[in-house]
Amino acid sequence: MRFAFSLHFLIQNGVDDVQSDRTKAQLLSQMGVAEKDVIYELLCDRSVEGGFRDTLLVLTAKGLFIACSRKELEGEKVFRGFPLKKNKRFRSLAMVTPGAGSSSEPEAAATADDWSTEHIPLEDIESLSIVNLVASGLLVVKTKEERAIAAFTNGLMSRASLLSKLFDKVKKGEEIEPELLEKNEAEENCPACGMIYPEPERRICPKCMKKSAIFARLLKFAVPYKKTVAIVIFLMLLNAVCALAIPYLTGTVLFDQALAGKGAFAGQIGLVVGLIILFRTLSLLFGILYGYLNAKMAISVVFDLKSAVFTAMQRLSLSFFQRRQTGHLMTRINNDSTELQFFFIDGLSYFIVNLMNIIGITVILLMLDWKLTLLCFLPLPLVILLVQKAFPKLWRLSWRSHRRVSALNSMISDSIKGTRVVKAFGMEKKEMTRFHGVNQNYAGAEQRYSKLSGTIFPVLNVLTQLGGMLIWAFGGWMIMQGEMPFGLLLTFVYYMYMLYGPIEFMNNIVGWWSHCMSAGQRIFEIQDAVPEVQDKEDAIHLSTLKGDIELSNVTFGYEPNKPILKGINLKVKEGEMLGIVGHSGAGKSTLVNVISRLYEVNEGAVRFGGIDVRDLSSSSLRNHIGIVSQEIYVFSGSIAENIAYVNPDCSIEEIIYASRIAGAHDFINKLPDGYDTIVGTGGYDLSGGEKQRLSIARAVLHNPRLLILDEATASLDTETEVQIQEALEKLIRGRTTIAIAHRLSTLRNAHYLAVVEDGKIVEEGSHSDLLAKDGSYAGLVKKHDEALKMNEVVLA
Amino acid sequence: MTTKTIEAATEQSEQVSTEPVITELAEAAAITFLDRSNASFRLTEGGMLAVEHDGKQHEAVYVHSSFPHSNRASYLSIRTIENKEIGIVRQLEDFDEATAELLVQQLQVRYFAPQINKLLKVKEEFGYSYWEAETDSGIVKFTVRGGVGQIKLVTPVRLLITDVDGNRFIIPDYTALSDKEYRMIELYM
Repeated sequence: MRFAFSLHFLIQNGVDDVQSDRTKAQLLSQMGVAEKDVIYELLCDRSVEGGFRDTLLVLTAKGLFIACSRKELEGEKVFRGFPLKKNKRFRSLAMVTPGAGSSSEPEAAATADDWSTEHIPLEDIESLSIVNLVASGLLVVKTKEERAIAAFTNGLMSRASLLSKLFDKVKKGEEIEPELLEKNEAEENCPACGMIYPEPERRICPKCMKKSAIFARLLKFAVPYKKTVAIVIFLMLLNAVCALAIPYLTGTVLFDQALAGKGAFAGQIGLVVGLIILFRTLSLLFGILYGYLNAKMAISVVFDLKSAVFTAMQRLSLSFFQRRQTGHLMTRINNDSTELQFFFIDGLSYFIVNLMNIIGITVILLMLDWKLTLLCFLPLPLVILLVQKAFPKLWRLSWRSHRRVSALNSMISDSIKGTRVVKAFGMEKKEMTRFHGVNQNYAGAEQRYSKLSGTIFPVLNVLTQLGGMLIWAFGGWMIMQGEMPFGLLLTFVYYMYMLYGPIEFMNNIVGWWSHCMSAGQRIFEIQDAVPEVQDKEDAIHLSTLKGDIELSNVTFGYEPNKPILKGINLKVKEGEMLGIVGHSGAGKSTLVNVISRLYEVNEGAVRFGGIDVRDLSSSSLRNHIGIVSQEIYVFSGSIAENIAYVNPDCSIEEIIYASRIAGAHDFINKLPDGYDTIVGTGGYDLSGGEKQRLSIARAVLHNPRLLILDEATASLDTETEVQIQEALEKLIRGRTTIAIAHRLSTLRNAHYLAVVEDGKIVEEGSHSDLLAKDGSYAGLVKKHDEALKMNEVVLA
Repeated sequence: MTTKTIEAATEQSEQVSTEPVITELAEAAAITFLDRSNASFRLTEGGMLAVEHDGKQHEAVYVHSSFPHSNRASYLSIRTIENKEIGIVRQLEDFDEATAELLVQQLQVRYFAPQINKLLKVKEEFGYSYWEAETDSGIVKFTVRGGVGQIKLVTPVRLLITDVDGNRFIIPDYTALSDKEYRMIELYM
């Protein structure tokens, strides 16, 4: 009996790999499992001790079957996203272990002895849980004692957590919903090549997306300007034609005809000079014209691109932003689109014209004298070789110096931002040393770059001029022999110099091309990303949001197997206030994210008046939910504009009412510029309390049915908090409110309180109920009281 | 200012910390240190680490290294699954050899990451780089998202590479790479 060594490619794939199917069947039969009894299988790829080794876990109604490979993985370990060559195993490899990678072709076939098998009966297992390790997970079974049965790398996390979930259901004898299995099986892989998408939220296979496809998409941005593009190219061609005429005029026509007194232009020096001036002027005019049009068009295109990216970004869910660094995204909007500006300015049009130039000039040169032409191309291979050798190195050095200068800049900025601390600890000397080190690094890198570029460019210049010298020498000899007129030689040299510019351009084109395509790809990545939270097609639109809010059995985590909320049940009656208390990190803010549908729940449902939020259109939800949180978004603009953010059409009077209710009116009027005070980056610096009042005023104007206060006063001092509290009370009146706080004083008006601990609700009831219970809440109140007392003592 | 004077000045400012401060800190921090006198480790039948400390049994504990990159085998925090610290092992020498081996083994369980001995190929395309490398666990192929933060120096020489799934790979000393290998990765660092 022969077993393929690795099982990766033989699990649940429907690939007609006879050998794999047989092997899997054999392994199952060795364990005494019929295929139809299999509820779920998981092939773990890591051994408990470290190293890659396969363990097959099979869950059936009878319990857990484990097949453990005795050998370490031979061959290669391929992780998610890595493109595999189209070999015979290709399909099966890529499709089989979605989520994780797969091992490549098994060279050695192994026998059943290479697998140790085991069965743990269902009744012996208390639980099957996952322990998170660093970049891996450990499956732990609790029988009489705990036991680690298998380990797996990160990519398998969601599958493993499904296994653990399914086990719970089997253990409790619950029905398994088919969609639970389907959801997991529908792992995204590219239909064309079978590769698993490196980013699940973006259903585009980077391997199958050809550069030409990006190119075509980029071109689409130029479509609205196709007339301008056509005109620009036409002007460029005219410019080139005029430019091409000049060497012929200054060389052959001037010297060999006008001056030599032969041919059509014999003796007509004035006419020839006039023609030269005319063509030069024309060429200049066309040049100016196309430069003007081109710049205008390129900037419009980049404007469109930036808007497209920013619009695409706004459409995405919160999770997209939290997974990426802000700086990174800003680069995409700014640098990448600027990069593409070069694509439209330099790229397209210059490419066409340069190509025409090269072809045109070469043809003219060959027609004039093919021997000389070959001669002037002689140093060209040398130039190309040098450029190919030296430029990558130059590019690397310039990158290095760029990196060092960023390090230097961030060091300076850190140090300046932290001046207060630096001075307080008397660490100025240390900062100087740090700066010195970074500065030296940068200087070194910059020197190396300058040295190389200082050498390479003069050499290149000499080489390009070498062609000219060769022609002078050889052509001079030919003139002496009377084989060639002087004017022709001159024409020749002029053309040759005209040729080097376009050739250099073409030499850089490969690097330039891939640079632009990468920028284009990064931009399209945002455009193609699928928002996690999406409106259903038949989403219900409500003009008013009424009724109770109900959370039933809500489970949610930002990452698989790290649930933050675990089976939360809550109910808030219309017009009432629910207070949520708990330590920081208990999951309070996550709860808000889920209720306001910034994130989608993993399990359970959030309902407004009996309607699942997933069935509601996002606009009807957003129109009726107001959030006042610690994070306050103040954009650059006047205070009035900031208050009117959600309701820009409101009257001035409304703005004043709202800020009056929020207790902001007084401080605003105290400012020299009143409501016209410019705030935000570079503007007037609002204090924490002032900002908070601004955001409350905003919420008052928004007039939401459901108000969420997420630690609205947490960052404020006690006195300010008391003032804001009053403003909040005015806001809360008559609205359904969910208030989250770790300061209990904020919640004194709550009708109902829920205590959250470690993602679960541990206590709920009214203030007095909970106090009577003498549980967690009573404990929190006690601590709070003590803290307050201390405050009083300090204040006294 | 010259380098020398700067260095001299730095030395001066660093000399402030002295022994008595450490004792005070130790009292305030009240960390339980485990050694052979107060704790004993064993492996359960299920292959989990268990520890007995001051007469109390803790089944299934996990070894977290405080400095997983710069000094993996020192200041090992022994924690339960609820992330409660039972105590810290200052260094492996505080236990007998068998226990030390057991702890090292547990570190490997938690921090397993293939160490790259040789880079075979690094190719960038469309914002992802595709890596092929020989590691102590065989040849691996993985994909790294472009941009900042996926490839970082965690000590002056140790390079940590994180792939699209969060799997970790380590180049223990990038200065020991050959010129060719270094050129492959320089642009990503």
